Amino acid sequence: MRTVLLAALVVLLVLKPFPSFAEEGAVEVREQLADAVTAPEEQQIAILAALADSGDEFVAVALTAWRRGEMFLIDHDGAPVPVLLENADSKEPVRGFLLRTGEVMADASGKVLTFVPKEQKAADTSSALRKQIKKTIDLLAISDSDPENRASGVLKLGLMQRPEYFEVLKQRLAIEKDPDVLKKLKEGIAVSALALGEPDEVVASVKTLGELRSIAGLDSLNNIIKTQEELPAAEQNAPLLKEATRSVKVIDDYLAWVDRAGTAFRGVSLGSVLLIVSLGLAITFGLMGVINMAHGEMIAIGGYSAYMMEKWMTAMFGDGALQWYFLVAIPFSFLMAALAGLVLERSVIRLLYRRPLESLLATWGVSLILEQLFRLYFGAANVQVNSPDWLQGSLVISDVSLGYNRMFVILFAVLIVLATVLLMAKTPLGLCIRAVMQNRDMAACVGIQTSKIRMMTFAFGSGLAGLAGCFLSQIGNVGPTMGQNYIVDSFMVVVAGGVGNLFGTVLAAMGIGMTDQMLQPVLGPVMGKVCVLIAIIIFLQWRPGGLFAARSRSLD
Amino acid sequence: MYLLTDLLTPILKRTLPSVALSATAFCLISCGGGTTSETEEAATPEESATTETSTASTPEPAAASSDDTVKVGVLHSLSGTMAISETSLRDVLLFTFDEINAAGGVMGKKIEPVVVDGASDWPLFAEKAKQLLLEDKVSVTFGCWTSVSRQSVLPVYEENKGLLFYPVQYEGEEMSPNIFYTAEAVNQQAIPAVDYLLEQGRKKFYLVGTDYVYPQTTNLVLLEYLLSKGIPIENIGGGITEQGGQVASAGKYTPFGHTDYQQIVSEIARFAASGDACVINTINGDSNVPFFKEFAASGLTSEDCPVVSFSLSEDEFRSLPTKDLVGHLGCWTYFMSLDTPENTKFKDNFQKWLAKTTVSGIKKDGRVTCSPMVLSYNGVYLWKAAVEKAGTFDPEKVMEALKSGVSFDGPGGTVTTQSNHHLTKNVYIGETQADGQFKVVQSFDSVVGEPFLKGTFK
Repeated sequence: MRTVLLAALVVLLVLKPFPSFAEEGAVEVREQLADAVTAPEEQQIAILAALADSGDEFVAVALTAWRRGEMFLIDHDGAPVPVLLENADSKEPVRGFLLRTGEVMADASGKVLTFVPKEQKAADTSSALRKQIKKTIDLLAISDSDPENRASGVLKLGLMQRPEYFEVLKQRLAIEKDPDVLKKLKEGIAVSALALGEPDEVVASVKTLGELRSIAGLDSLNNIIKTQEELPAAEQNAPLLKEATRSVKVIDDYLAWVDRAGTAFRGVSLGSVLLIVSLGLAITFGLMGVINMAHGEMIAIGGYSAYMMEKWMTAMFGDGALQWYFLVAIPFSFLMAALAGLVLERSVIRLLYRRPLESLLATWGVSLILEQLFRLYFGAANVQVNSPDWLQGSLVISDVSLGYNRMFVILFAVLIVLATVLLMAKTPLGLCIRAVMQNRDMAACVGIQTSKIRMMTFAFGSGLAGLAGCFLSQIGNVGPTMGQNYIVDSFMVVVAGGVGNLFGTVLAAMGIGMTDQMLQPVLGPVMGKVCVLIAIIIFLQWRPGGLFAARSRSLD
Repeated sequence: MYLLTDLLTPILKRTLPSVALSATAFCLISCGGGTTSETEEAATPEESATTETSTASTPEPAAASSDDTVKVGVLHSLSGTMAISETSLRDVLLFTFDEINAAGGVMGKKIEPVVVDGASDWPLFAEKAKQLLLEDKVSVTFGCWTSVSRQSVLPVYEENKGLLFYPVQYEGEEMSPNIFYTAEAVNQQAIPAVDYLLEQGRKKFYLVGTDYVYPQTTNLVLLEYLLSKGIPIENIGGGITEQGGQVASAGKYTPFGHTDYQQIVSEIARFAASGDACVINTINGDSNVPFFKEFAASGLTSEDCPVVSFSLSEDEFRSLPTKDLVGHLGCWTYFMSLDTPENTKFKDNFQKWLAKTTVSGIKKDGRVTCSPMVLSYNGVYLWKAAVEKAGTFDPEKVMEALKSGVSFDGPGGTVTTQSNHHLTKNVYIGETQADGQFKVVQSFDSVVGEPFLKGTFK
């Protein structure tokens, strides 16, 4: 396991090289870019428009940096000149490259100068300019070496339905080889042709769009149908209308499938989030019978641990640590929350094992105290936890978008459920835990230290909550009240799944997640949530013990 | 001067056993949950002490002001979910009072603030308002953030003929004789933002918000406006609910504290697939974090589909992932980044005041200024100008003076009061930068505040 993680880490670090600002770019292109940065706005736009067919990939690199506020103006020979910095996210001083020549910035004696990016003035971009930058990058995308960029670039150009791009796209059709790009290119050309083409070309394009199942072209197709239907019957273009109606139907059918697949994925991912937050509770409440109202604060401890880890790691190892701190934060947040759970068990819960109502009140008090401590220590406002790059973005498979962070949560949920099940079923500790939970006095008779086992079980359950918090820091808030948002959900999952049954918890989490995602498009998020709650109430009327009613010592 | 420490000593002596101790003790256990009833003690001991002063001091018969001071109420949530936003307004109000007192006060009288905690609990706001008006007999109150808290105190102010200044952008459709709205009306925020987007060639608008009165009302007004601008109804995303042939609700709504935006963002991605789309975001508070994280993760960018947010200002950016927000838009009547002498002076003085203030519970590092803060600040100066114009502290006469029109050169430009209880002010549209500031991309000068917009666009 460790080697796999390390290998993944190495791959990730290698995959993200620093941009080589120094070597790339033809001399005249660099000159033009440097002129553009300092020119008045109208000229900037003109220069950038001209650069669109330069075919030089450095243009996209420089413009992307500019758009992101990473093109800096630094004094050189008495005047501010455009400079690209080695790593614009760095908090440490880094080297700068002159945009005009690609030289490393140095003072008169040849000593290399370094700059802290945050302290430098970035070149301004107005909205109009950013639009032109984007357009230039789009046009450049036609000749981009990366097929993925090329594919999205050609489609965007096609959607603009502008004659000048239409011609460029048609020219590209003759030389494009990559099948994926070719598909997008055809789609783009077809969309453009709807507005710009000859009548028979329009009909052909309508057909093409249907064959390509073009979501992007759907709006234009619907417009055609609408305008045709508004015309008097005599003037209608019957073949066009028929073809368009057929294409729209094909695309709609396809969309229905995409929606189903997307909803399934989102349901599983929401279910995984619910599962992760409630698994710890399934142990402490489900197995041990402790109503722990401070469970939410254990989640918050996990979230804050991830936050602290990010701070410490970036402070110690620089910004590169952003890419891997999360892997360290996972065990750290487990340990912190487990430790907190241990202290809580020894100081409060141990004294209240046979008095569930008192333990409810006491743990609620603990939850308020912890919440206030977070407020005192971290402030009332939420803190920001940055996600590593490999958790951002998404994988798109035939128009179903699978977010990397969502795939990670599913994987994560599977792993911790497996680990928990293995621990319970295959280890001596798990055997002891089960024995103590089933009959504490009997377990004590055969020589199990029941008090110690309960302590460890509670710490384990709390540690799982910490893991949940660590993951939630990547998709939501970390703040003093973050646990409150999930405590109700997690009790809901554990109760619906059947108290004391891990398998039930898994099924209930997935079921609730799925139902929620399926109802949302129909009823909206508010009514969707209400319906899920009503469904659970009715379900519990029908099966009061939850999905898998279990008998445990504490419930007898 | 209302130095809290000075006030504290005698009160602590008198009430230490009963109040202060229980307040501190209670504070530890109770202010966390944003729960309802224990809110009175939830403020820090010093704050309770301020409240305590006013109740403990012998009520003065009729006059709202003693010889050399005038009592002014501050009614904001200092605990609970809204505390994050509202404490900033308390801070800026205390700063403004100090600034005015240092310059000689209002008509020779020093301002004596009475700070009470609404504790994010709407009925409690009404109780606290009653206390301010009947027991403390304040001449004016500055307060409220959410529309529901304003509507909860409205009857109290109308019944007792008080005067309330309300500083936070809101949905309009209201004009109480006893409230002065320094806030942005819909036509000073949402409408200019939409105008800007239309100008940028955006043709499809997706509406998303938190499910309560402000987003719902604003989006209904926007729907009418967009239709009047020739945007076909199928280009307005988020869903439209009709009841009895009338549009009852436009847009997609999520509950407060919603955390799962997968479905909505995938809908937006689909909506934006054919280009020229934008999102109008009235999501409030915490939920913006998962929304923007999901938005960024789905690969949508601010060029493909910009999001204009009406509830996010510089103050909120302190706890948001600004990296995911770069290029998205905001629209307010003040930005911290405005480069005017008034704004520079305001920011400098506020930072200086923060550095030396002894009021406890005020966070001193990393503070920013934002539109609701400046509108609170403007409100105090407008009240001062109106009092001086009327020559009395009597709320009714002051309101008359306000309606006749007074001006103040504030940090966001000159503001002038109107007879409809709103302000004429400049409106700015800004793009979010990575450092959590706005860069102005367009400004509209002297926009007249108009609360009643529904049904006016044809």
